Amino acid sequence: MGVRMASTLARTVTGACLVAGLSLLLAGASLAQDAAAPAADAARSAGSLSPQCEVPNSDIATPAPLPTTATLLENSKKVRILAIGSSSTYGIGATVRGKAYPAQLEQILEKTLSGVEVKIINRGVSGEIASATAERLKSEVALTHPNLVLWQLGTNDALSGISPEDFENTVSAAVRRLKKKNIDVVLVGLQYTPKYARDENYTGIRDALRRVAAAENVLYIRRYDAMQFLAKTRANLQMLAGDEFHLNDLGYQCMAEHVAHAVTANLFIRRPQGLPAKVN
Amino acid sequence: MTSSVTRMSSLLQKPKTPGFLRSIFGSPNTGPFLGWIRARAAKDDYASGGTRKPNEIDFWRGFALITIFINHIPGIYFENFTHRHLGVSDAAELFVFLAGWSLRLVVNSQYKVITFPRLLLHLGGRAWAIYMAQLLITMLALAIVAAAAIILDAPLLLEWNNAAAAFQDPVQAHVGFVLLTYQLGYFDILPLYVVLMGLAPLIAIVDYYARWALLPLSLAVYLTAVFFEINLATWPVEGRWFFNPLAWQLMFVLGFMIAKPNPVGNWIKNHRWTARALVVPVLAVGAWAGLTEWAYEVGDQQGWLFFTIDKTFLTPARIIHLLSLAIMFGGAFTILHGYARPLTRLFSMLGRNSLNVFCVGSILSLTGQYVRFAFSGGLWIDFLIVTLGILVLSLTGWVSEWRQRLRAP
Repeated sequence: MGVRMASTLARTVTGACLVAGLSLLLAGASLAQDAAAPAADAARSAGSLSPQCEVPNSDIATPAPLPTTATLLENSKKVRILAIGSSSTYGIGATVRGKAYPAQLEQILEKTLSGVEVKIINRGVSGEIASATAERLKSEVALTHPNLVLWQLGTNDALSGISPEDFENTVSAAVRRLKKKNIDVVLVGLQYTPKYARDENYTGIRDALRRVAAAENVLYIRRYDAMQFLAKTRANLQMLAGDEFHLNDLGYQCMAEHVAHAVTANLFIRRPQGLPAKVN
Repeated sequence: MTSSVTRMSSLLQKPKTPGFLRSIFGSPNTGPFLGWIRARAAKDDYASGGTRKPNEIDFWRGFALITIFINHIPGIYFENFTHRHLGVSDAAELFVFLAGWSLRLVVNSQYKVITFPRLLLHLGGRAWAIYMAQLLITMLALAIVAAAAIILDAPLLLEWNNAAAAFQDPVQAHVGFVLLTYQLGYFDILPLYVVLMGLAPLIAIVDYYARWALLPLSLAVYLTAVFFEINLATWPVEGRWFFNPLAWQLMFVLGFMIAKPNPVGNWIKNHRWTARALVVPVLAVGAWAGLTEWAYEVGDQQGWLFFTIDKTFLTPARIIHLLSLAIMFGGAFTILHGYARPLTRLFSMLGRNSLNVFCVGSILSLTGQYVRFAFSGGLWIDFLIVTLGILVLSLTGWVSEWRQRLRAP
């Protein structure tokens, strides 16, 4: 009973928040958001980036195939995406839950890949380290039946002092398990933050993640580089929330756009080559 | 059984307040060193004035509590030596199993003294106490998380252990806390315990009127939950309960059923070594699976959960492993109590005060996480955390009993 009550409440509260958020947006509470909204729509329909999120392609992702998702798209089927990982998946710093990155991503992908139903299942747990997520992944995957796993990771491992080797082993084992089940994997990397730019463990974990992605040939969103680029070239736009660590709404929007951009780009990479997308 | 022993001993012994060290090591002539030699010969044991004598159930509960305290500090060196690495079940199974077992002791001892409605009131009161404990430790945990973020000047710490929503979505989070649908990381055992104790009167009723139906009913709920992948939802953080009550109730009921003298239990007691030999293969496979972190890859056809090692759904492998452990180490208490009495005294004292010790342990584990963060880990810090932690847990048990004695006439 409690649960039903909770979910009803959730709907009511979320609804209220959405209304409040929309009116805020209309009132032009945030300059950055105001400028962003119309531009973002145009950008989304074209499948490219809105101006304030624009980053050289090389800074967003290392290309890799997404065979399962590509096949599903060719048949215009439903794509189920499991978003798992730590805080940025949950959507901390966003004023409205609907603005957390998985929710934004769902909208962008549905617009870009018209005719395809995209369902994103959010299972983010804030503060979680990769080994805990890897453990959870084992059953979450079987429970939610995703075609694609978006795994946002690294930041908490770096700060918890997990050794890069342990981190690398954990992540590559988990990625291999997913690939064996014909599930596409997208690794979403660490946040950029000036505070930890020179932290040895922070860069160690970042490099380890890059190595895993390369070794396993999975799509890797280099969030650190993208955010760093934006931070350096667009110092006037606030990407980080008040605590200087979390992304604010604009940051989430860019992150969602970067992930969507990378996913779609890597899906369409296969087509000009005329290769039939096959699930091995 | 235990209650009559307790009553006997409290009659025979003059209640006295033992010092903290004496409550663990005993009086000087059976001190830690001489005690090791004399212990086996000693017939009467040191029951710390009015409280239960050290016994098997309390001992293993204490063991589980210390293990949970260490397991809840991820990355700590000593975590590698907890038994979960040597098998597929961990301290949580043991704790819930023993909770069921002690429910049997409570029910059996209360039947003679008080009426049935009072039993229900008693168990309901227990569930309420656990619920309040959960709210209290959650509040303390949030304060610790916030204090750590302020002191260490690291806002990121606000989100460890799933705490982010409490600070970023407080409107929803507060409702979630009270409904038990928002559980901080590692603060997810007591919500299960609240549900189980809430079910306890029902379990007691079924046991009283139709004992034969209890296990089949419990098993039916378990099988349905595991087969159809049914679990309670969490909110506001989207997800499912970490300890699925629909699955975990079986562990509780198993403890409750097995605690009652039954043919299988009697056979095991009378053929200890044969029974132990029989479970050796199970434990060997479990150890191999634990050490290699083996996971059987199944497809996602209906019923796949039965063949995995999943904690949330308490899959069969974990139940079989825990029961095998119980057969292997059941009775070991007598031997330990002969040779390592300070240890059995200490663990039993923790087990006797399990709710208080558990709550303090949860807070200590969380503090330990931030201490490790502040000092960037290290063996000495880990050693210090574990030593201090066990000391504080022991003091908690001792102080709790001191209070009980003061309250007693």
